[in-house]
Amino acid sequence: MDDDFLQRLMLFIPVLLSLTVHEWAHAYAAYKLGDDTAKLLGRLSLNPLVHMDPVGTFLLPLMGVPFGWAKPVPFNPLRLKGVSIRTGILIVAAAGPISNAVIAIASFATLKILLNQADVLGEGEVFLLMFVLQVNVGLCLFNLIPIPPLDGSKIVDGLIPDVARPAWERICQLGPILLMGLILAPLLLHFSPISWAIQHVIRLLPW
Amino acid sequence: MKPKLQTFLFWIVLIGLMVFYFASNRRDSARIVPFGMLETQVQRGEVSSIEIAGSRIRFRSHGSWFEAHGEMTEQMLLELQDIGIEPKYGSSSSDSMFGDSGGIVTLAATAILVFAVLYFIFKMRAGAGGIDLIKLTKSRAQDVTGQNKITFADVGGCHEAKESLGDVIDFLKTPQRWIKLGIRLPRGILLEGPPGSGKTHLARAVAGETGAKFYVVAASEFVELFVGVGASRVRDMFETAAKNSPSIIFIDEIDAIGRRRGSGLGGSHDEREQTLNQLLVCMDGFQHDTRVVVIAATNRPAILDKALLRAGRFDRRIKMPALTNSDRADILKIHTSQKPLGPDVSIQTVAGWTDGMSGADLECLANEAALLAVRRARHESSEPVLRLQDFRDALKPREEQTRLFDQLDSVLIESTSQLSEPTGRAVIRLQLRDGSSVEGTVLWADAVFIKITRPDGSTLLVPKAQVLRLEAAAGTESVTRDQISEDRWSQGRADMA
Repeated sequence: MDDDFLQRLMLFIPVLLSLTVHEWAHAYAAYKLGDDTAKLLGRLSLNPLVHMDPVGTFLLPLMGVPFGWAKPVPFNPLRLKGVSIRTGILIVAAAGPISNAVIAIASFATLKILLNQADVLGEGEVFLLMFVLQVNVGLCLFNLIPIPPLDGSKIVDGLIPDVARPAWERICQLGPILLMGLILAPLLLHFSPISWAIQHVIRLLPW
Repeated sequence: MKPKLQTFLFWIVLIGLMVFYFASNRRDSARIVPFGMLETQVQRGEVSSIEIAGSRIRFRSHGSWFEAHGEMTEQMLLELQDIGIEPKYGSSSSDSMFGDSGGIVTLAATAILVFAVLYFIFKMRAGAGGIDLIKLTKSRAQDVTGQNKITFADVGGCHEAKESLGDVIDFLKTPQRWIKLGIRLPRGILLEGPPGSGKTHLARAVAGETGAKFYVVAASEFVELFVGVGASRVRDMFETAAKNSPSIIFIDEIDAIGRRRGSGLGGSHDEREQTLNQLLVCMDGFQHDTRVVVIAATNRPAILDKALLRAGRFDRRIKMPALTNSDRADILKIHTSQKPLGPDVSIQTVAGWTDGMSGADLECLANEAALLAVRRARHESSEPVLRLQDFRDALKPREEQTRLFDQLDSVLIESTSQLSEPTGRAVIRLQLRDGSSVEGTVLWADAVFIKITRPDGSTLLVPKAQVLRLEAAAGTESVTRDQISEDRWSQGRADMA
């Protein structure tokens, strides 16, 4: 096993953690709002094995492909209590990206403390935290993209006024194509909108 | 260990491993830094030298070299200018997001990515209430080997059928003997017989005798909403069976797919025909030494496709015979072997009462009798023992019903025949099951209703099933106060409790 692969394996751990927390957050939000579908399916758990998708969670990231996913958490909006179905879907969908944002903020805070304390550039901890930050900003942003079946589309679903809905639904039908274009863009154009966005969001943080 | 604790420990171990890996003085592993790191360094003005080769950027900071991957932005270049550093530009031979690799790798990566995205989208669709295509084409045949194992000893009667199946059993047990003689072995056996005559039971017994794998499938399980699924299920089933030979495939109610081809209107039964074709091919396609036998059951052999019945497929047809007296006695013996029989019970006698009943009927009878025995034992608080009376009572609802209808009819037929006589009409009094009673002259009666004219002149239609008691008051020869029954009609139903 060469160093490169070992490092990739190690960097895979925070990716796995972030994906798991993301899916767990969906399940937790749904559960708190009264839908125990995910809980009954054993998805209200931080165990990565219940959320993993063999190809999306393991194969691709370990092969070095900068793209991955976990199994979506099933959810029954009709069982929500106390909120309207639209709001419920919105909250449950938003929970995932929010969880990643929380991790990102936490790692940023730690990073900032570290960097202000000493000259630690090039130390492993900084590298790791920087990576966690990037991964979570990335997951948060990527999932907020309003293209079905990403979480962002459900958030838009909840917020969009009824007037715009027919148009929105027509766009939704193009979802998979748009998504594919977005993911393949970096290979074809040598420009990755997602990494571009990640870089810029990180730049905006109060270093 | 609790799953929560397990998960917690799992993460502790993983995170510990990761932190250890990066924190332990492995500085070279950290030579490559995230691009964001470079940005902060540039922003803070801590970069002392920088080389850019495409998306691969080497920079010097705090006295050591680092490497980052990404695109320099305008703003970063401006910031570099501000601190007076001129970037060196190298050749961008490895201008790829997959590190320093050639065109082929990029191409491969593109292919993988395309595949991955398609897979992702497919998955998402399937997750949202879609159908798992892999599962759909799997045969639904269940392996029931070893469940409720029965042998020929558990099958009463059917002597001819057992004899015919004896060959099959011998073949599955010792195929060499048959192959040596160059005998083509029976591949398909069709069991024909009315419902409840023990076709499934017999097939199960064959599996029990040979110790072969036994797969049960109902022919209707091949049929699905999607075209082609049936055929692939047939293939899958035969593959599984061949893999685990010696084995027996039992296809119940084969008429669901084995119906004569071309009988559908306008060829609308393509899918079923396709399934049937696949079944035919699979039965032909066996190697001669493959020890797989197909047993099919149907109670409508007349509608089966001829190709299914030709030699080499279901060439052996076994008719489940009507049960003789001694067969029924055998079957009853089997079904009562676990039940305590009283000294007065003669199986022969009971068998004599049950003419025309099928194996399933007999099993039901034995069970019903045992049920009555248990109920009686509960009343008397004694050990339950089946008496002859229990069998008689178990048969009674059926018998009683027949008798009652006969009696009713005889009175009514008599009275309606009187209608043509000028001397008089039949006057009957009916007590109904709801407690009310009706009286009047019979207008007519058929199998289901009696129509009477009441004394006040109105007419009334009475369903026969509602009649609890019938008195013929006048006009018939049998003017008897014939008490038909005390609530005997409901006996069958009350016994269900």
